[in-house]
Amino acid sequence: MAIAKSEKYVNIIDTTLRNGEQTAGVVFSKHEKIRIAGMLAEIGIPEIEIGTPALGAFEREAIKEILNEDFDAKLFVYCEAEPGHLEYAVECGAKNVIINISTSDIHIKEKYKKNRTWVIDKLRQAIKAARKNGLNFIISAEDATRTDLEFLLKLISISEKKGAYRFRICDTVSRLDPFRTFLNISTITSAVKIPIEVYNHNDFGMATANGMAGIRGGASSLVVSVGGLGEGTGNAAMEEIVMALKYLENIELGIDTSKFREIAEYVARSSSRAIPVWKAIVGTNVFAHESGIHADGVIKNPKNYEVFNPKEVGLTRQLVVGKHSGSHTILHKFREFNIDLTDKEATDLLAMSREMSIDLKRTLFDKELVYIYKEYVKKNKNKKGQPEATDAE
Amino acid sequence: MKGIDLFTEFSQKAGTKIDPRDIKIDDTTLRDGEQTAGVVFANEEKIQIAKMLDKIGVHQIEAGIPTMGGEEKEAIKKIASLGLGCSILGWNRAVKSDIDASVECGVDAVAISISSSDIHIEQKLKKSREWVLESVRECVDYAKGYNLYVSVNAEDSSRSDMEFLLSFARTARDAGADRLRYCDTLGILDPFETFIRVKTIIDIIGIDIEMHTHNDFGMAIANAIAGIKAGATYVNTTVNGLGERAGNAAFEEFVMALKYIEGIDMGFDTKYLRSLSEYVAGASNRVLPTWKPIVGGNLFVYESESKASGVLINPGTYELFSNKDVGLERKIILGKYSGVNTVIYKLDTLGIKISRNDAEELAEIIRNKSVSLKRALFDSEIIETYKSYKNKKVAKTTAKKGGK
Repeated sequence: MAIAKSEKYVNIIDTTLRNGEQTAGVVFSKHEKIRIAGMLAEIGIPEIEIGTPALGAFEREAIKEILNEDFDAKLFVYCEAEPGHLEYAVECGAKNVIINISTSDIHIKEKYKKNRTWVIDKLRQAIKAARKNGLNFIISAEDATRTDLEFLLKLISISEKKGAYRFRICDTVSRLDPFRTFLNISTITSAVKIPIEVYNHNDFGMATANGMAGIRGGASSLVVSVGGLGEGTGNAAMEEIVMALKYLENIELGIDTSKFREIAEYVARSSSRAIPVWKAIVGTNVFAHESGIHADGVIKNPKNYEVFNPKEVGLTRQLVVGKHSGSHTILHKFREFNIDLTDKEATDLLAMSREMSIDLKRTLFDKELVYIYKEYVKKNKNKKGQPEATDAE
Repeated sequence: MKGIDLFTEFSQKAGTKIDPRDIKIDDTTLRDGEQTAGVVFANEEKIQIAKMLDKIGVHQIEAGIPTMGGEEKEAIKKIASLGLGCSILGWNRAVKSDIDASVECGVDAVAISISSSDIHIEQKLKKSREWVLESVRECVDYAKGYNLYVSVNAEDSSRSDMEFLLSFARTARDAGADRLRYCDTLGILDPFETFIRVKTIIDIIGIDIEMHTHNDFGMAIANAIAGIKAGATYVNTTVNGLGERAGNAAFEEFVMALKYIEGIDMGFDTKYLRSLSEYVAGASNRVLPTWKPIVGGNLFVYESESKASGVLINPGTYELFSNKDVGLERKIILGKYSGVNTVIYKLDTLGIKISRNDAEELAEIIRNKSVSLKRALFDSEIIETYKSYKNKKVAKTTAKKGGK
């Protein structure tokens, strides 16, 4: 399905199969990995991270198979800045790699127990190994948002000179808000020529907003994952970024969004995680309306409470009846069952439904509404003490 | 570019430090939270949630919609009579009888809600802008007659014509309203737009602003924070972000983001956050996702060697706050991404000492096992795996010795 891209374009690179799988407790099978990569490529995700070759033989086998599938997307593998890791990437037949290295002083001192010079040497060695093997490479600066800016710019400049494809700024500990992200990224993009990519975590619920702020600051690429799957709180969710670009920034990536729910479900099952019903963009409750005010508004015109049509992301609109329902919802709902209620009937049925919803501590199923209706009709008949022939009309 | 102008604006503002005492939380778990399709709280649960919010230090609780009557009204009455330290607010349409119902409940504050966008005025209310302003004037005046704290909620503020929204805010202010609730009803703003719009209202009208944000594009928290940066003083939150569709700004995320990103510590007792979230999740029949920001059960569980080994040396390498700050536990688990350092550490916690070489070999066995099981290993499985590794090793050495 071809969807015209807008003039302004933003790249997205999906890391569901790499950082998504790195989530504590999550393991995809080889079969699932191939399927997920295929689904992402099919809807038009331009770049995909498919795994970490240095993990072991099982991972390299999955990577090889995905590379052999000939998917229509640029496929990347993930390496630490170790020449040995790059050898593994080559062994898999990868053409594109991400080379990761921590750049903040706290990581350099505490994790590596080294100094900044060591980081520069490591980076140069890794780049050398990548170039020797003819690999296309992205340099990823882990904990970049806690890194001394001057040192970071130095690393970017080395990467740029050595022909890196892009430079990735990682907000590893979710240290930034959108304003600081904007400041940070616009400072970097105004100082360098190499394309800048932003990688966010969701520790304070701001991954998507920070990604969007990065774009505003001149970044040209964002790292995303399906459902935001990733270590800790996860990453910027692919579906949120694509829809936010489209509806908040008028940037159309040409991605077939109607498969979003399906892909989210597949990834959720593969990672043994349920999609919360309230998950932005793909949760089943996103287009469910209960409260009288909202449901009434949606019945009159969906645009009163919806920005886009549920079909656009593979969902359906539902009107549910419960404690907060109004009589318009009841009228509308029964019309779905081919029953035209009078205003009086709707008011009575609303009172009964609300009462039952409070009692059951949940909304009502369609079947339950029909039961309530039958009960109501029966009660009225008894009251009148005679069969009511006109009720069926 | 809009962003650049904004940045200039923001950097001028950046120097002025926000006083934590100026920011107030008005939690609406009991109103907008319960309005979520499928969620119904029992009155007992409402009272418990109100008590927990009060204990943790929330400034105002939006307790429900008095005009709904029945059980709802009873719950609000009860909450208002608990003698809590915080203000209790009732939600109303811009209708006098709604306000009467609030008064009957004994609340000290009311929210008067009415749409300010043309689409809502024309399609939902089927009225005019003038009618909206008149309703605001009348209802604020009416509520003020009862000496109540009055918030005027401009529903669908973010799709409202700015000129009209300013008239709306001016009308509310002149009628004596205490604040204006800026409602991003559909969750369509980004933080930069939010900043400009909220700042415009504050600069021109000078009324207190409350932020009511929705998470449809994942920006509820960022937008609430942007509102604060622009000078808003109230934030309408819900526990776990419970609310219609994708939900509202989560109380726990907002409080922690303000503390750890903006450096504004509102002094909440955050170690109760996890138990509050658990209670609301249970009462709303929703599972708390293990990856939920701030309170998810998996946030301090580490598997990957690169992160875990950093955290074991110094938690500061990957954590901005400690698990204890929010009532969670830190844990290392072993799986596909484990390596030598995590294996040594984990076995040590299970009472087993292992050499680096052995740990190296065992890590590979564990990685393979995790791949075939499609999950991380349980502690008992780790112990079993270690034992069988040890036994095989002993058997090998004995076999070698026997061969000589």
